Amino acid sequence: MIKPENQVSIPTRIPAGPRLSIPLRFRDRRRVTILLTLIVLAYVTLMTLPTMIPNHFKLGAALVSFTENIKIMFLQPHLANTTFVTLLGALGQSILLAFLTTLIGSAIAFFFALASTRRLAPTYLVLGIQSFMAVIRAIPTVLWVLIYSVVFGLGANAAVVGITFHSVAYLTKVYADSMDELSPGIIETMQAMGLKKSAIIRQAIIPYLIPSYLSWTFIRFEINFADAIAVGAAAGAGGIGYQLFMSSSFYFNFHEVGVMVYMILAFALVLEIISYRLRSVTHQ
Amino acid sequence: MLTVNHLTKSYDGEKMSLTDVSFSVRPGEVTVIIGPSGAGKTTILRSINQLIRDDDGEILFDDTDMRQLNRRQLRQARCRIGMIFQNYNLIEPLTAIENVLHGCLGTKSNLAGIFSMYRNREKEEALQLLQKVGLGEFAYQQCRNLSGGQKQRVGIARALMQRPKIILCDEPIASLDPKSTVTVMDILRDLAVNDGISVLINLHQVDIARKYADHVIGINNGQVVFDNRAKLLSDVAIANIYQKNVNTEGSLVHEF
Amino acid sequence: MNSDVQQINRFFSKKRFRLTLIIVILGMAYVGASIGLGFQTHSLLNVQDGIAWLIQNFIPNEASKGYWNEILQQLFRTFLVAVAATTCAAIVSLFLAIVGAKTLTPAITVSWVIRAFSSLLRNIPIVAWAMILLFSFKQNDLTGFLALFFMTLGFLTRAFMETIEDFGTEKVQALQATGATYLQVIAQGLLPEIAVALMSWILYMIENNVRDATLVGLLTGTGIGFIFNLYFKSLRYGAAGLVVLSVIILVVSVELISNLIGRLLS
Repeated sequence: MIKPENQVSIPTRIPAGPRLSIPLRFRDRRRVTILLTLIVLAYVTLMTLPTMIPNHFKLGAALVSFTENIKIMFLQPHLANTTFVTLLGALGQSILLAFLTTLIGSAIAFFFALASTRRLAPTYLVLGIQSFMAVIRAIPTVLWVLIYSVVFGLGANAAVVGITFHSVAYLTKVYADSMDELSPGIIETMQAMGLKKSAIIRQAIIPYLIPSYLSWTFIRFEINFADAIAVGAAAGAGGIGYQLFMSSSFYFNFHEVGVMVYMILAFALVLEIISYRLRSVTHQ
Repeated sequence: MLTVNHLTKSYDGEKMSLTDVSFSVRPGEVTVIIGPSGAGKTTILRSINQLIRDDDGEILFDDTDMRQLNRRQLRQARCRIGMIFQNYNLIEPLTAIENVLHGCLGTKSNLAGIFSMYRNREKEEALQLLQKVGLGEFAYQQCRNLSGGQKQRVGIARALMQRPKIILCDEPIASLDPKSTVTVMDILRDLAVNDGISVLINLHQVDIARKYADHVIGINNGQVVFDNRAKLLSDVAIANIYQKNVNTEGSLVHEF
Repeated sequence: MNSDVQQINRFFSKKRFRLTLIIVILGMAYVGASIGLGFQTHSLLNVQDGIAWLIQNFIPNEASKGYWNEILQQLFRTFLVAVAATTCAAIVSLFLAIVGAKTLTPAITVSWVIRAFSSLLRNIPIVAWAMILLFSFKQNDLTGFLALFFMTLGFLTRAFMETIEDFGTEKVQALQATGATYLQVIAQGLLPEIAVALMSWILYMIENNVRDATLVGLLTGTGIGFIFNLYFKSLRYGAAGLVVLSVIILVVSVELISNLIGRLLS
């Protein structure tokens, strides 16, 4: 067969062309914005840095002790107060927590995204849901977990619901953004054939959405894994995060911290490999 | 069959507006709308199935005014109007046969749409339509792997699956090479002659219009300047349709 | 029924079977994970209890107004630390990314070392950073700053590196062909072209770090996270609600400002 031949008609499209053709005024606005932002950031940083080091603080001693601890962690990892099997179980708990929250979050967020994409929903609904989600996103995950651990009691329920909250808010936004990127022509075509909304979603939107849905959900899984560890430490919600917290701030045993960090890094490596494979699959 | 009366549309002073456009389309004929780009060809086509809501006028399809229908009635009317696009607008991750079957979803229930439930008769018909446009062996190919000409033929099969009384074609060959152009236009011509479907096509290639049309409507600057049999399309008439025009805002409407 | 229809039916059954299989597997995984964690699904239906509790208890009352000053002060501090950590990390990252990007690197080994280093920094949990640093640097802003700094360094190095690599080898070679030196290529050719992309990464990281600073503060006993924990544990919910409110306002305004800058840059 002859290969695609779409070049014949598109003469109206202006080529992406030389950068110099951008009006000067426009370039200036960019340059001024970048410059101003950099100046503000530099000013804030320079003002803040000196005030951060407290009086009578021995920076040298702290740095020596820090490098010492890093060395202990990475070069002499071994266990004292707990067993490897216990830690493996705890790591598993954190992974399960990340998995469960991602699963629930992505399912709920999908429906919110449908109700808040410009392609399908009226403007007031889009604005309403997106601002509501922005507020939920603004509250750090750990605060959600703390709040729910008062209502439900400390445990898995609070951790799952708390992390799910943030996941839903995050995924709703990114899913809706990827729906917004769909060409309006596709939905219009289905409407022109007289299809109902449910059929349009199932037959047109979902097939196009699957690759970005998968990659965003996977990214959120990575975030949720990090959150699961943080929540375990800061809200006592169990998992490897809690073990990490105990070893470092209760037993002050950095050899043990080293083992756990190595375990987490090993899982992170697995995730990187999966994400690499996923990218090559969805980019086909 | 289809009659458009006094269609008037303005995009707040933009050049793409229509003034008092009237014409009718007969069954079993190929009617071609020609005119410079920006003359309002696409606007006319999209007004017919109400993808664009017009400002004023009357669009009689089977003796009912499309403009007066409520949402449900409009959806039902659209089920019998096929449409073909310059960019094909197929669901590219799906296979050709699935895209063709979408054509009959308009008349089916929500459940059928969600679970892709089709009758055996419909499946058979979809396959026959693909064979009719010469793509029988591509039925299970993902549409993103097809060439431009093949995609457009899938688009035609999908429109036929609607069992349309009329097919609207918006620049169907603008993105195609000469060989595919001939294939696609031959199929469209065949639909009018052998199946008695009205075919209304937007084109900007005059030679193609002359070769395939029964009836030609010339549009310039939102107005009908030619409405007659194709054989009466003289060089003078073409020059008249494509003449440069200074529109009301004083800016030059660029010719094709 | 002819064979063509049978073939279509087989096609749809196969598709349906695959979908069902995925749903069943995910469902089983859901049940398995719930049991493994001890999570009860019905608590999802009680989400509104949390919201109701939040509204009842977290409404700042008269007494909590007295905390306003302390909260604002800590909030401001947290914001400054987040910005400073991001900026410092961005400077170091830019250097690492230029040396490490495959298109510019002096040696491919250097590129791999930097890649591994940034991956390591990114994947060490922030909890571990906070705890190790807390031990050596004690309870002060510097600890939070460094924890954020290391995480951001890992993240931005990777992001900057990808941005530079997207810029393309051809353009770099074209610039080198004009006789420009290594430094000239970077300063005149590369940086102006990718400045917008780098800026949006920095803004994104500031947003993120403002949120993470709360977590780090909670762990290291500094800033806004610390006072939230303090109020929360001592059941001063009104004041804790005020903290949550102030965090929302801060994060949303940072997001709005960064959107505004993003629009000015586009």
